[in-house]
Amino acid sequence: MENEKNIISSEEITENAAVNSAAENEIAEISAEARAATPDEPHDKNVKLMSPGRMVMRRFFRSKLSMIGLVTIVLLFLFCWAGPLFYTQWDASVPDYNGKVEYSDDIITVTRPDGSTYTFHQIIETGKSINDLAKPDANHPLGTDKNGLDVMARLMYGGRISLVISFLAVFIITVFGVVFGGIAGYFGGWIDNVIMRICDILMCLPGFPILLIVGTLIESWGIDLQYRIYYLMGFLTLISWSGTARLVRGQILSLREQEYMVAAEAMGYSTGRKIFKHLVPNVMPQLIVSMTMSLGSMILYEASLSYLGLGAPEKYAAWGTMINSATDPNILENFFNIWGPPGLCIVLAVLAFNFVGDGLRDALDPKMRR
Amino acid sequence: MLKYILKRLGLSVFILLGVSFIIYFLIRCMPVSYIDSKIAAINQGGATVPEETILSMKESYGLADGDDFFGILTGYGKWLGGLVKINPETKLPTLDFGVSFKYAIPVTEKIKESMGVSFAVALIATIFEFMIAIPLGITAATHQYSLRDYIVTVLVMIGISLPTFFFGQILKNLFAMQLGWFPPSGLIDATTDHTGINLILDYLRHLFIPILTVVILSIGGRMRMTRTNMLEVMSSDYIRTARAKGLKERVVVYKHAFRNTLIPLVTSLAGLLPSLFSGAIITEQVFDLPGIGNIALAAMMEADIPFIMGYNMFLAFLSVVGVLLADLMYAVVDPRVKLK
Repeated sequence: MENEKNIISSEEITENAAVNSAAENEIAEISAEARAATPDEPHDKNVKLMSPGRMVMRRFFRSKLSMIGLVTIVLLFLFCWAGPLFYTQWDASVPDYNGKVEYSDDIITVTRPDGSTYTFHQIIETGKSINDLAKPDANHPLGTDKNGLDVMARLMYGGRISLVISFLAVFIITVFGVVFGGIAGYFGGWIDNVIMRICDILMCLPGFPILLIVGTLIESWGIDLQYRIYYLMGFLTLISWSGTARLVRGQILSLREQEYMVAAEAMGYSTGRKIFKHLVPNVMPQLIVSMTMSLGSMILYEASLSYLGLGAPEKYAAWGTMINSATDPNILENFFNIWGPPGLCIVLAVLAFNFVGDGLRDALDPKMRR
Repeated sequence: MLKYILKRLGLSVFILLGVSFIIYFLIRCMPVSYIDSKIAAINQGGATVPEETILSMKESYGLADGDDFFGILTGYGKWLGGLVKINPETKLPTLDFGVSFKYAIPVTEKIKESMGVSFAVALIATIFEFMIAIPLGITAATHQYSLRDYIVTVLVMIGISLPTFFFGQILKNLFAMQLGWFPPSGLIDATTDHTGINLILDYLRHLFIPILTVVILSIGGRMRMTRTNMLEVMSSDYIRTARAKGLKERVVVYKHAFRNTLIPLVTSLAGLLPSLFSGAIITEQVFDLPGIGNIALAAMMEADIPFIMGYNMFLAFLSVVGVLLADLMYAVVDPRVKLK
């Protein structure tokens, strides 16, 4: 009880100190441990106490690279979801039919009954063609692709697919990883052994070859090709949670031995409370960092699968599929406006996630002194 | 130590069995069966293949037991049973992955044959990767939070974030299409007959852009690894001691700190084993190289079971050995680590 009282009093002090010293210029940071060690001493007005959460936020927002990353991510999301609200002149799946007027010019030779012949030109308007491979102009800011689809509109809708898929995949991987890693780490024994051996097997599965096989398998199920990439990424989550599970297990193994867990044991808390209230929150920092980093790698995975022809078909194309059109040498050489922008978007997204992940790791590391 | 290695080897056999079963099961579930698609092609040509012939073909390829779960299980048993053969001449057991459907030569021979290109690309790229990434990592760490650190970090991060095929195509477009310095794809120049040193130069000319692509994409990871380790070492007590006794900064960094930074780098070298031999499917696809990745992709599309199994098991074997070697290396290089 003594202990609990101390915590409460130190929290009160924190709040008071935060209010008092908000205007101070010189502020020293004192970590939570230092605060707990001297809870009853009266506080110097020049010392500002910060909760660990606030220190993390502060360190994160002070790092320039992670701010650049965060802003880039927000801008990309705005571009993909709010973009089509303003960019309404073209849709991603309706070609531009305002191409040149096409006509056929045939020389018709007619033979009269007496054997003499005469010829004439027959010009027939066969319709307007689609405006394909247009260079960027005011009408199409990024030109059109070989099907006459506006590249800018495709970029927006494609981005939705890429981003949604990577977020979903990372979320599912994390859920699997936390559940299996948590169970393995907390219970240990044969459960741990079984789960870890499954992890070993999954780690040695060659990823790309397996996904290619599964890609053709999914095709045979008669699933609309539009959704194939979702199923594929779903399968990818099934075989790639082992890394997260290992991370969670390792953390829980070391946390389990700490005094506060012995205390939780002594208090007679339920298993669920011990796992979710005491262990999981302590794994969160590492987990958040690894999640952010794997967001980038999932975007790359999705793009590579699309590039190998396992993505959504042209009309619903994600960024990877758009780059795929550069396998045509003509497009590769002359139409950077078709395959360049999606590539740049992928680079920006992955880079931004990596920056944010790096910044979070530095901010969450209690040993960091900046 | 010996006990540890034996235990790990036993575990590896278990892992490889698990991996092989998963892969075999998935391949057998594939809708394209090599024989069925061949028969369909013949039937389309007008001729008909008698039912007995089809059955005997399937029998010889180990596909005769049907496509339900137990059929696949029997097929897997047969594949596993045929895996180890006794060499009649040397009386030693050898691994035999059977004959590839598609390429019509033994799988091991086909893998050996197409390995050369992939291995050359991976080896040269790895050497350059280490040569460039380690100095970069050291300067970034010794000048932490300086402009130099930021520039290096941002550049290598861009490298990590580039999709292989996108960057490969940019380089191909720039160096091969626009500038015309290097050939855009393939391995040799078909129009001229090169021999001796000219042949090797021709190979290198063709492999330049693929290698450049791989190097730039992989520098990032290695550099960040070096930087992190270097930072950790630089903040340790013995470095402070070295500085306190008045050593030059150069000696502190390169003689005292760098040696400890080498530990994880050397260890990671063993972990690179699979990537040296596996071939880069996408790079080879972009530059149309006849490496093992490209060959395997083609085999995968036609459900060439012996080849896919052989190739994937080869990869799984390499990664199991790679992990084991990395752990052993760690104990060899770092005297503080004891294996249990």
